[in-house]
Amino acid sequence: MTKLKKKVVVIGAGHNALTCASYLAKSGFEVEVHESRSEVGGMACTREFTEGYKVPGVAHLLHMLNPGIQKWLGLNKNGLEFAANRLKTISLNPNGNALVIDGDHLEGDGITDQHRAEFKSFKKKTNSLARFFRSAYQGRPPRIRTDNKKDLLGLMQTGWNLRTMGNEDMTDMLRFIAINVFDLLEEYFNDDFIKGSLAIDAVLGNHLGPRTNNSVITYLHTLTGEIDGVQGAYAIPKGGMSSYTDALKNSAEKLGVRIVLDSHVERIIVDDNGKASGVKFAKGNEVGADVVVSGIDPKSTFLCLVGARHFEAGFVHKINNVRMRGNASKLHLALSGLPSFNGVDEKDIGQRIVISPTMQYLEQAFDYTKYQHCSDQLPMEITIPSIHDSSLAPEGHHVLSAIVNYTPYSLKEGWDEAKPVVLENVLNTLSQFAPGIKQQILHSELLTPKDLEAEFGITGGHWHHGELTFDQFLMLRPFPGMAQYSSPIESLYICGAGAHPGGGLMGVAGRNAAVELMMEES
Amino acid sequence: MLLQQDHYKKSYYETPFHSRTSELNILNEWQRWKDYTVATNYFRTDLEYIAVRNTTGVIDYTPMVKQKITGPDSAEFVNRFFTRDMNKIAIGRVGYVVWCDAEGQVLDDGTVFHIRENEYWLLCVERQLDNLSISAIGFDVEIEEITDDVACLGVQGPTSCSILKAMGFEGIELLKPFDIKHYDFQGHEIMISRTGFSGDLGYEVWMVNEIALNFWDELFEKGEIYGIKPFGLDALDLVRIEAGLLVPGEDFMVAEFAIRPGSTRSPFELGLSWLVDLSKPVFNGRQALLEEKERGSRHTFVKLNVNGNKPANGSYLYNQSGKKIGTVTSAMFSPSAKANIAFASLHEPWKKGKDKIIAEIYYQKDLEWNRVMEEATIVTKPFYDPERKRITPAELY
Ligand SMILES: Cc1cc2nc3c(=O)[nH]c(=O)nc-3n(C[C@H](O)[C@H](O)[C@H](O)COP(=O)(O)OP(=O)(O)OC[C@H]3O[C@@H](n4cnc5c(N)ncnc54)[C@H](O)[C@@H]3O)c2cc1C
Repeated sequence: MTKLKKKVVVIGAGHNALTCASYLAKSGFEVEVHESRSEVGGMACTREFTEGYKVPGVAHLLHMLNPGIQKWLGLNKNGLEFAANRLKTISLNPNGNALVIDGDHLEGDGITDQHRAEFKSFKKKTNSLARFFRSAYQGRPPRIRTDNKKDLLGLMQTGWNLRTMGNEDMTDMLRFIAINVFDLLEEYFNDDFIKGSLAIDAVLGNHLGPRTNNSVITYLHTLTGEIDGVQGAYAIPKGGMSSYTDALKNSAEKLGVRIVLDSHVERIIVDDNGKASGVKFAKGNEVGADVVVSGIDPKSTFLCLVGARHFEAGFVHKINNVRMRGNASKLHLALSGLPSFNGVDEKDIGQRIVISPTMQYLEQAFDYTKYQHCSDQLPMEITIPSIHDSSLAPEGHHVLSAIVNYTPYSLKEGWDEAKPVVLENVLNTLSQFAPGIKQQILHSELLTPKDLEAEFGITGGHWHHGELTFDQFLMLRPFPGMAQYSSPIESLYICGAGAHPGGGLMGVAGRNAAVELMMEES
Repeated sequence: MLLQQDHYKKSYYETPFHSRTSELNILNEWQRWKDYTVATNYFRTDLEYIAVRNTTGVIDYTPMVKQKITGPDSAEFVNRFFTRDMNKIAIGRVGYVVWCDAEGQVLDDGTVFHIRENEYWLLCVERQLDNLSISAIGFDVEIEEITDDVACLGVQGPTSCSILKAMGFEGIELLKPFDIKHYDFQGHEIMISRTGFSGDLGYEVWMVNEIALNFWDELFEKGEIYGIKPFGLDALDLVRIEAGLLVPGEDFMVAEFAIRPGSTRSPFELGLSWLVDLSKPVFNGRQALLEEKERGSRHTFVKLNVNGNKPANGSYLYNQSGKKIGTVTSAMFSPSAKANIAFASLHEPWKKGKDKIIAEIYYQKDLEWNRVMEEATIVTKPFYDPERKRITPAELY
C-alpha cells in the first residue's frame, strides 16, 4: 500500500498519553507528543523539591499497572524496576497501636481471629467485585441509547460479565454500587479502627466521604489494579516515580514516537469542516495533523483548547458540568533522619502508612470540604521512598511523601492565605503519630490542588481528571452521551484519565483510546 | 424592572396599553398570555379580521417574549444558536428563525432583530433565557430578558403605512419587508419594523412603556380615517393561518415541554428546511439533523385545501385505504382565500404523490354531532399572499 502514514499529534506526555502514543506508533501511525513541562510523565514524575531531595512529584505508589500494557510495551526491558513491592499498609492509631494489613491478612494489638476472618471474607468479596470492573475497563465502554452494533455487543458483554459473576456476586455488585463504603464496612466489621483504616482507600483523591454514595465504586476502582499478578499490591519504582514514565518514554521513542518537551499547546485547530487539523503552540507556531489526541482532562481539552463555539450547546453544557473538584494535596518533607512512628516497627517504616483512624474521622474532615473549608485533622497516605531508594536523599537523610486528602480546590479563605495554616495543621497531625518529626524537617512543601492545576494543566488538580462517580463512570464517562474516546470534532480524541476507566497509574485509558482511534482512523 | 408592584393581588400583568384596550374590549373577553392578560376579542372576531385585511388592525403584542443579546461575540453566538446562516441578516434587518435542542427538535420559532452591531433581539412565544444562557457558555455575550421593558404593537393591514406616515414617521414607506428603522417619538427612541403575522403589509412598533399610551392615542387618532381597529388573539389566529405561519404549542410540540418521545418535530418535519443551513460547521442540533437527513424524516408538514366548508380542526387524516396518515394542527375557512384551509402533519404510510388525503371532520348542528369525510389537496403557495406585502415603497392611501 502506498498510503501515507497518518500523522497524530498527542497533547501532554502523561503516562496515558505516552501509552497511547506507543500503541499508535506500533500500529503504524506517525506520532508526535507535545508536553508543556520539561519532562515527561505528568503527575507520575520525580521532583527535586529542594536541592538534593527528590520525591515522587504527585503520584507516589504504583498499584494499578496493567500487565498487558506492561508486557506489550516492554516496560521492564525499558527500565521499570521496583525498589519495593507488595508493600504492607500500616494504619496509625492515636492510641499508639498500629494495624498492619498485608494482602488479606490483618495483624496488630487487639486483632482477633474473628477480625482476621472478617477481613479475609471482605477481601475475597471486594477483590472479586473489582475484577468485574477490571474486565469492563479493558475496552471501549458501550454507549447506551444507540443502535450501533459494536455498542450493543459491548452492552451485552457487560451484562453477560455481570450475569456470569454468579448470583451472589451479581446481587452484591448491584447492591454495593448503590450504597456507600460506610454501610459496606459496617456490614463486615465491628471494629471502628479497622473500618477507618480501610475506608481511606475509597476517599483518597475523591470528593466524597465514607457516607457519600459512590464510595464503593471508588473503593473497588483502587482494587482493579495489580502488580506482577497480585491484586491490590503497592509498589515503589526504583529511581523515583519518573522511572515508570521514563520506561514508557523509552518504549515510545524506540517505536518512533517523537516527544517534544517545553511545548505547550494553546489551541487545537479545527478546520471549516469541523475536523481537528493540528495544534497551535504557546510559542506561536503551529503543526498540522491528521488526528489530534489529548491527554489532558476533557474540560480543558474541549472548553479551553478547542473552545465552546466549536460545539453544540448541549455538549458544552454537559462538559461544563463534569465535576472536577480536586481535593488531594501532596506533602513533601526533607528529613535529617528516619522518623519514628508510634507503634510502628522500624523495619516497617518503609511501608505504606495511613492516618485514618475511624470513618468518623474521614466524614468529619469531609464535612469541612463540603463547605469549602479545611479541617485541622486530615487523613493521609504516607510513604518514605528514600528507605528503598538511596538516590532520593543524601546519605542518612530521608524524604517523606504524603497524600493529604480533603484539602479542597476551592477554599473559602483562598489558598494563598490558607496554605501555611494547612501545612502547619498537617505537620501537627503528623507529629501526633511521629512525635519527633518536626525537629527533623529541613524543608517542606505542600502542593495544593490549585498548585497541581497550575503545574499540570488539569482542571481542579483532579486525581481522575473528573470525579469517578456513578454518573461519570464506565459508559457514562466523561459524561453521558460521550462514552467514547472520540468527540464531536472529527479526528479529535481524548486519552487521559478523564476518559474511561479513570485515574490512577494504569495507562488503560491511553491504550483504549489508541484502539478506538485505530478502528476509526484506519 | 418591576412593572406592576401589586401584580400579586390580581395574579396577572396588565400591559402598558391596558387602560385603552380594556375600554375598547366591549366583549370583555380576555386571555392569559405569558402572565399578561390580553384581549381575545374586542367586538367581533370576523369584523376584527376584516379590519386587518381591508384597513388596519392593531394588536397588543407586549407579552411576546423578548430577549436581548449583546456583547462582542453576539454574531458568533446567534449563528451557533439558530439553524440558519445568521450572517445573512444584516444590521437593520429581521430574520425568521427556529432553533433546536441537541436532538434537532424544534424548541420554538421566532424573529431575530439585528438592531446594531453586537446587538440582537430574539422575539418568540416561549421564554428562552435558560436555553440562551446555556448556549452562552464560552461566549462573551450578555443575555437579558426585556419582555416587561418593551411595549409592542402590531399595526397590520393595507392602510398601516399611511397611518404611520400620518403620524410623522418620515420615510416609513421606504422600509422593505424585514427592515428596521428607529424614530424619535416625544423624545424617546422607538423602533419600527416592517414585520408581522398577518401576511400582509404591516409593521411592528417597539417602545418603552412610558410612552405606550401616548403612542396608542396618537395612532388611533391619526388612524381613524384609515379605518383603524383593535384586534384580538382570535382574529390573529385567522390571519396567521392564512399567512402560513406556525404557532408553537399548536402546530408543533415545543421540544422541551414534550413528555413522549416522538411527539416533537425537527425543522425538516415542519417544512422549514429553508431555515436550516447544514453547511455551517456547527449549530445546536446540527449533528442530529445531519443524521435525520441521512435516515429520512418521520413527519411531513403540509398546507391543505380541504373540500367542503367545514373547518377541519383536529381532524384525523386517512389515505384511500383507510390507514391513518396524520392529523390537522390548525384549520379555518379562509374568507380571503375563499377556501377551507388547514395545516397538517403527515406520517407513514402516506406516500407523497401517490396517496390521497382524506379528512375526518366532525361538526355540530344544534348540539348534534355530524361527520363528513372530505378529500384534501396539498397547497404549496401561501394561502394569502397579496403583492402589497412585498412592494416597496409601500402603498399609501
Ligand atoms: C495528589 C495526587 C496523588 C496521586 N497519587 C497517586 C498514586 O499514588 N498512585 C496512582 O496510581 N495514582 C495517583 N494519582 C492519580 C494519578 O496521578 C493520575 O490519575 C494520573 O497521573 C493521570 O495520568 P494522565 O496521563 O491521564 O494525565 P497527567 O498525569 O495529568 O498528565 C497530563 C500531562 O499533560 C500535560 N499538559 C497539560 N496541559 C498541556 C498543554 N496545554 N500542552 C501540552 N501539555 C499539557 C501536563 O503537563 C502533564 O504532563 C494521584 C493524583 C493526585 C492529584
